Amino acid sequence: MVLSYLRRAHSSFAAHVFDIPPRLMVFLFLLILLAVPITGISDYYMGILTSANVLAIFAVSWDLLVGRTGQISLGHSLFLGIGGYSSALIFKYYGLPIWITIPLAMLIGSLFSVLIGFPCLRVKGPYLALVTMAFPLILYRIVKWAPLTPIFGRVGIIVPSFFHFLPIRQQVIAEFYFTLILLFASSVIIYKIANSKTGIVFMSILDDEVASQACGINVTKHKLMAFVISGMFASLAGCLFVHLLRLAESSVFLLTVSFIPVIITFLGGIGTIYGPIVGAYIYSILDKYVLGQMLPNLLEQWQMTLPTEFEYAKLLIFTSIVVILVIKWPRGIARYTTDRLEDLEEARDLDERGPRIWKRYKQKNRN
Amino acid sequence: MREDLESGKDTSRRTGIRPLKVLTMHLLEVKGLTKRFGGLTAVKDVSFHIDEGETIGIIGPNGAGKTTLFNLLSGFLTPDSGTIILKGENIVGLAPHKIVNKGIARTFQVVRPFHHLPVIANVMVALKSPRGAKKIEWLKTMERKAADILEDVGISEVMLEPAENVGHGILKRLEMAKALATEPDLLMLDEPFGGLNPLETDFLTKSITRMHLDEPSRAILVVEHKLYALMKIVRRVIVLHQGEKIAEGKPEEIANNKLVIEVYMGKGIQHA
Ligand SMILES: Nc1ncnc2c1ncn2[C@@H]1O[C@H](COP(=O)(O)OP(=O)(O)O)[C@@H](O)[C@H]1O
Ligand SMILES: [Mg+2]
Repeated sequence: MVLSYLRRAHSSFAAHVFDIPPRLMVFLFLLILLAVPITGISDYYMGILTSANVLAIFAVSWDLLVGRTGQISLGHSLFLGIGGYSSALIFKYYGLPIWITIPLAMLIGSLFSVLIGFPCLRVKGPYLALVTMAFPLILYRIVKWAPLTPIFGRVGIIVPSFFHFLPIRQQVIAEFYFTLILLFASSVIIYKIANSKTGIVFMSILDDEVASQACGINVTKHKLMAFVISGMFASLAGCLFVHLLRLAESSVFLLTVSFIPVIITFLGGIGTIYGPIVGAYIYSILDKYVLGQMLPNLLEQWQMTLPTEFEYAKLLIFTSIVVILVIKWPRGIARYTTDRLEDLEEARDLDERGPRIWKRYKQKNRN
Repeated sequence: MREDLESGKDTSRRTGIRPLKVLTMHLLEVKGLTKRFGGLTAVKDVSFHIDEGETIGIIGPNGAGKTTLFNLLSGFLTPDSGTIILKGENIVGLAPHKIVNKGIARTFQVVRPFHHLPVIANVMVALKSPRGAKKIEWLKTMERKAADILEDVGISEVMLEPAENVGHGILKRLEMAKALATEPDLLMLDEPFGGLNPLETDFLTKSITRMHLDEPSRAILVVEHKLYALMKIVRRVIVLHQGEKIAEGKPEEIANNKLVIEVYMGKGIQHA
């Protein structure tokens, strides 16, 4: 009795407190991120957040293809690498400035996605996943191929940072803002696409390809569209990464890199825009801060050190997290939170609109 | 060509409408259609034609090959032999979406909604197809048109619900709404009454009849394994049995056809 009263009181309180429209929520989130450099955190932590911004672009692009269109790609590192290498090569041979290399890298990325999309999209489901997996490995071999070393370099291609003309602290801050703006722009564009009428068609392909054809939709064309848009933004992320690391190197094509957007998207919530973004921050903080700093520091207190193989164990840890998430919270952390907020909203409706909604609310909770 | 003309004359004598157009060509003409699955011949040398504005029923017991015939006509399967001529053009081998855009739309026996989308967005998918988009009236938005179609089939009150939350009766009608959205010249319904209660069946019968009145040039092909539901809406019935066409004629004729009654094995065709 008391308990149920308390629960009701709490939920109606929470519903009012959390009664923030999504647009405002995004705005607040952005505001917090914009304020981060003012807090004066160290360059290292700024770097973590900057790479989270780029990973978020990468994951959002993956989510458009997989979460919205249902075309499972396990080789998305391909586009990351192509974006990165093309901007590095353009810099190496032509020395063009960034506002030209970035769009050029995106263009080359989309051209490649058309080329690769044609053979890939002839197969479906798990076969598609397998085929997409193969392409980055092929490129890995090409980049490593001895006769091509003069082009791709022994360790990679060294490129300057975007803001090499600034002192180091300003450089880090500028990079953070630059990637944040690009993340914001990319996610707005992808959000607009996903919620457009073409986005509805993408969703219909995810749900039932055959029924979509029966509606007169050219399924192959729309799959290719999703592939190209996704490849374009993944190349953008690749281009950004190369300039953050100041190096384009072959390990970008490895399978482990292709799994990063999978991990991130399942962490945050598949089939949403905010999911991969939130997931990218969680992932980066877990990867670089919790596992990369906190854990070694903690172990140091007990006179222990992490074995060097720990890098590989990280992937195991993350895949385990994903497996648990897929079973426990298939919609991801961010999605789970928004769903709870919606439930609370219904609880608030109950105060205003009486018992009919209450019944629905109870029913929903029972299921 | 001679054959065409002859059969054309034949029809004009029977129906007595639009002699000139009918004389030149049928809306759909199927000749010698055959489809084998391994050793099983699911559709065997089936020929028939459909004219503009006709309502035709195809009946036959389960496994007669009705759905296979639908899949052949809509391009989801390619026939082993035979031709399908739509408005003078052979459409055998065309991709399903191309056939839809040429004017044949179908529903599925087992409903195939887009679960993640709201009911209205399900219809908008079909409106986004080239033919669907072209047929939207001037100054009308896609949303408005989708809502109108849902109104026509009587499910506009659930248009914002996700398709995964609505009942089977509504999904059956949504299936029809999706097919109607492309404004087909030939609408093919695969067992539209399957799994519906008598009330819903009655409603659907009425809405098909009304639909036909609204758009008199649209041909409708309805597949059922029960004859009684068809009797009220179709003018001509084709009977399939083990992939073969065994009879064709007016519903009353078919109901009294010895061969047809035999096929239904004395179950009594009225109640089968
Ligand atoms: N894809 C398929 N592969 C093999 N056999 C099939 C396939 N589709 C249908 N059949 C067979 O073809 C016959 C006709 O099936 P169908 O057209 O579904 O009958 P109906 O719709 O009249 O009940 C059945 O015997 C069925 O088992
Ligand atoms: Mg069937």
